[in-house]
Amino acid sequence: MKYSAVSRLIGALVLTGAAVVTGQTSTSESKGPPPKYDPTSVERGKGIFVSACGFCHGSNAKGGEKGPDLLRSVLVLDDENGKAIGPVILRGRPDKGMPRFPFTPLQIADIANFLHSSIKNAIDRDSYKILNIVTGDPKAGEAYFNGQGHCTSCHSVTGDLKGVGAKYEAVTLQDKFLEPNYSWMEGTPPHRVSAISVTVTLPSGESYTGTPVNFDDFNVSLRELDGAYHSFKREKDVPRVEMHNRLQAHLEMLSRYTDADIHNITAYLVTLK
Amino acid sequence: MKLKSLLPGICLALAAASTMAQMLDPALLTKPATDAWPTYHGDYSGRRFSTLKQINQSNVKHLTLAWIYRIKVGITPNAIVGGEGPMPEGPPTDPGVSTIKATPLMVNGILYFSTPDNAWAVDARSGRELWHFAWKTKGGVHIGNRGMGMYGSWLFFETPDNYLVSLDARTGKERWHKEIADVKQEYFSTPAPIVVGNHVLVGTGGDSLDVPGFLEAHDAETGAIQWKWWSEPLKKGDPGFETWPDEYAMRHGGGMTWIPGTYDPDLHLYYLGTGNPNPVLTGRSRQGDNLYTCSIVALNVDTGKLAWYFQPSPHDTHDWDAAQTPVLIDAEIDGKPRKLLAQGNRNGYFFVLDRTNGKSLVTAPMIRSMNWSKGIAPNGQPIPDPAKEATIPGVLVSPPTGGATNWPPPSFDPETGMFYVGTSQQFSMFYLTDTDPHPEGWGAAERDAGYLGGDLEAIDIKTGKIVWDHHYPFGGGAVGILTTAGKLLFTGDGAQHLMAFDPANGEILWHAGLADDLSNGPETYLLDDQQYLVVGAGDSLYAFTVEP
Repeated sequence: MKYSAVSRLIGALVLTGAAVVTGQTSTSESKGPPPKYDPTSVERGKGIFVSACGFCHGSNAKGGEKGPDLLRSVLVLDDENGKAIGPVILRGRPDKGMPRFPFTPLQIADIANFLHSSIKNAIDRDSYKILNIVTGDPKAGEAYFNGQGHCTSCHSVTGDLKGVGAKYEAVTLQDKFLEPNYSWMEGTPPHRVSAISVTVTLPSGESYTGTPVNFDDFNVSLRELDGAYHSFKREKDVPRVEMHNRLQAHLEMLSRYTDADIHNITAYLVTLK
Repeated sequence: MKLKSLLPGICLALAAASTMAQMLDPALLTKPATDAWPTYHGDYSGRRFSTLKQINQSNVKHLTLAWIYRIKVGITPNAIVGGEGPMPEGPPTDPGVSTIKATPLMVNGILYFSTPDNAWAVDARSGRELWHFAWKTKGGVHIGNRGMGMYGSWLFFETPDNYLVSLDARTGKERWHKEIADVKQEYFSTPAPIVVGNHVLVGTGGDSLDVPGFLEAHDAETGAIQWKWWSEPLKKGDPGFETWPDEYAMRHGGGMTWIPGTYDPDLHLYYLGTGNPNPVLTGRSRQGDNLYTCSIVALNVDTGKLAWYFQPSPHDTHDWDAAQTPVLIDAEIDGKPRKLLAQGNRNGYFFVLDRTNGKSLVTAPMIRSMNWSKGIAPNGQPIPDPAKEATIPGVLVSPPTGGATNWPPPSFDPETGMFYVGTSQQFSMFYLTDTDPHPEGWGAAERDAGYLGGDLEAIDIKTGKIVWDHHYPFGGGAVGILTTAGKLLFTGDGAQHLMAFDPANGEILWHAGLADDLSNGPETYLLDDQQYLVVGAGDSLYAFTVEP
C-alpha cells in the first residue's frame, strides 16, 4: 500500500527486469541491423538533390510548394537501389509538371541513397540528435543549487564537481543529475562502490550489510565488502531488511523540479569548467 | 528405437481418423469456457477471470509442475515452412522471436500459439510438440506476437511482415496467406486475430514513419476482406476531420491497432483501443485532438462502422496509445445493472465507461508520479498540459513513453468487483529534435530519468479508488494477470516468479521461480477433469496443476 522510499531504489538498479514486458514501442527492444548507405554516396546525392530537386521537393525532401514529400512517398519507400526512383527522374512526370532529369545511373543511385538514408534517419529514433539544451539561466541555477535544491549538502563545486562542465557534454551532465549512475569508483586504492546498501538483521540479532544482489518478496541477498555472498529466505517482514540509498535525494527531486529548474541547473553546471 | 520411428506414422493415421477432434465449437467463445481457452482472452470479455476453482486458496500451496515446453524457433528440421521472404541464413537472433507473449489457445486438449514468424501446436496433457510452422520473413520489427485465433479447424496468426496466415490446426499446413500492410512503410503486425462469427479481425502496428492505422475483417474461409476501418478520417468532411489541421496530417496520423479487442455479442460491438498519433512525440503539424487515435472505439462487427468513441489521450504527444485491453464488465451501479467497459490506460489513468454509448463513469489516476495532466474534463477526458510536450531543452514527464501500464493483459474479478493491473512509475526527459514545421517519425528523443518501482494494483471499478496495492521490492510493472473463482490471482513479479495472490487483500499465497520473467497472460482450463495453469516465461511454457 505505501511506498517504501528505499525499496523504489533497488528497482532502479534492476530496471531491466521491468523493461521486458513494457513498451511495444520501447526503444530498448531493437529492430535488427539497419541498412547501411554509403555516406559519400549519400553526400553526393544530397548535393545533386538540393540543386536539382530541392526547389520543388524542399532541400530536405520533405516536400515544397510544388513537389510532394518524398520521405513519405510509397514509391520511394518501396524502391530498392533507385530501380523505382530512376525511371521517374529520367522520364519526369509531365502531367504533374515535373521535368525530366538526364542523370547518370550513378547519380540516380546517389539520389536514392540520399532519400533512403533520410528516411532511415527519421525512423531511427535512437539516433536523433538532441539540440542545444543549455537555454536556462545559470544564475538561477546557481541559486537553486545552493538553496532549495540542497545540492551542497552532498556536493561542492570546488570539490567533487570541480570542472564537470569541461568534462561532460550538457546532455550527459543533465542525465547525471536526473538519473545518476548507481555505482562508481572511489577511495584509495580505487574500488567500486554502490549507491545502495542493504542491512539484513536476523531474529537472533545477527546482521549483515553489503551491496544488494537480489531483493524480492521471497529472497534477499547481498555481497559484503570482502566479497562474501549471503542469501536469506524472506517471509513477510522476516528477516528485517533495511535499505540505504546515497542517491535518494536525486529520486525525490524528480517530483519537485520544474522544467525551468532543470534547465537552470544545467546552464549552471556547464559553467563549472 | 523402432517404436519411436513408428510413432509419427501412427500419430498421422490417428490424426486423419479424427478430423473433427480439433474443431472449435463457436459457442465456447461467448461464455467463460472452462474446458478450453478458445480465444486470446479466454472469452470475448477480456476479463481473464475463470470460473474454475479446483485450484483454490486451500490447495494452491500444492501446485506442482506438470511439464515445461521450450520453443525452438526458425527453420528447424521438422518445421513446416511458409513465407514470401528469402531463406534465412541462420537462426533468428531477435529476442522477440524467442519470447512467448501469446496467450495460447487450448482447444480439445491441444495448445496453439505463436511468436514472430513461428507457430506451434503442443499436446496440453504432455507438453509435446505436434507441429511447428516457420515463416520466411521479408522483414519488419520482430518485437512480439500475441497469438492465434481459431475458426472450426482453421487457425489464424499475423506476421511481422504483415501477412495474415491461416493454418490447418490438424496438420499445421498453410491454407492461405494474405498481405494486410506494406512492410516497407514500416508497418509490422503483432495482434492475435479475434474471430467473431466468420469475421477474422486483424489489426497492425508500426509508428516509425507516419502511416495510418486500420482494422480489417477477413472471411474465415477465404481470407477475403469483408470491411476495413481506418483509425483516422481519410478526407475533409469525414467524421473527426475537424480534429486535424488538414488531410495530409490525418493520412499520416498513426493510430495503430496492435492489441486484440473485446466483443459484446448482445450489442454486436467490437471494442478496440487505438494507437498513438504520428508524428509521435511532437504535435505541431497535427493541431487538434487527432481522432480516432488514442481512443477506445466501438465498431459494429458486421460492418466496421463506428458506433461511439472515447478518447483517453486527446492530442497525445507521449506515445501513450490506448491499445490496452478494454475489459467488458456487467455490474450494478446505484442498484441498476450496467454494461461497463474498463481500461487501465498507458497514460496513467483508469477509465470506466458505459459500453452502450461510451459515456464516462469513472476517471481516476493509477500512479502518483503522473505530471502531464491539468485535470479531468466534465466528459471524463484528462486535459493535457501543453507545457509537457517535448521542447528543445527538454521537459520531465511521468509516465515515460512505456506508460504507467502497457499491453500485458489486466483482469477483472466479478467476485471482488476489482480491476487488477500492473503499473510502474517512471520519469523521462522529452527533447524536441525535429524543428521542421512538418516533423516526421518521432520528432523528439526520450531519455530515462528515474524509476520509482512497479506495483500490482486492485482498483474498485465503481470509484476508481485503489483498494490495495502490492509494491514489488524490485521490478514488477505491467505484467499479465489471471483471476479465478478459486479466489486466486496469478501474475509475475519481474523477478522471475509466478505468484498467486489473494485477490481480496493482496496477500501472497504461493510462488514458484521460473527461468525467466512472465511474458504473457496466465491462463487456466480443465483437462481430464483436472485444472491446469499455463504461463509463458521467455522461451518456455510452464504447466502447473494440483494432483488429485
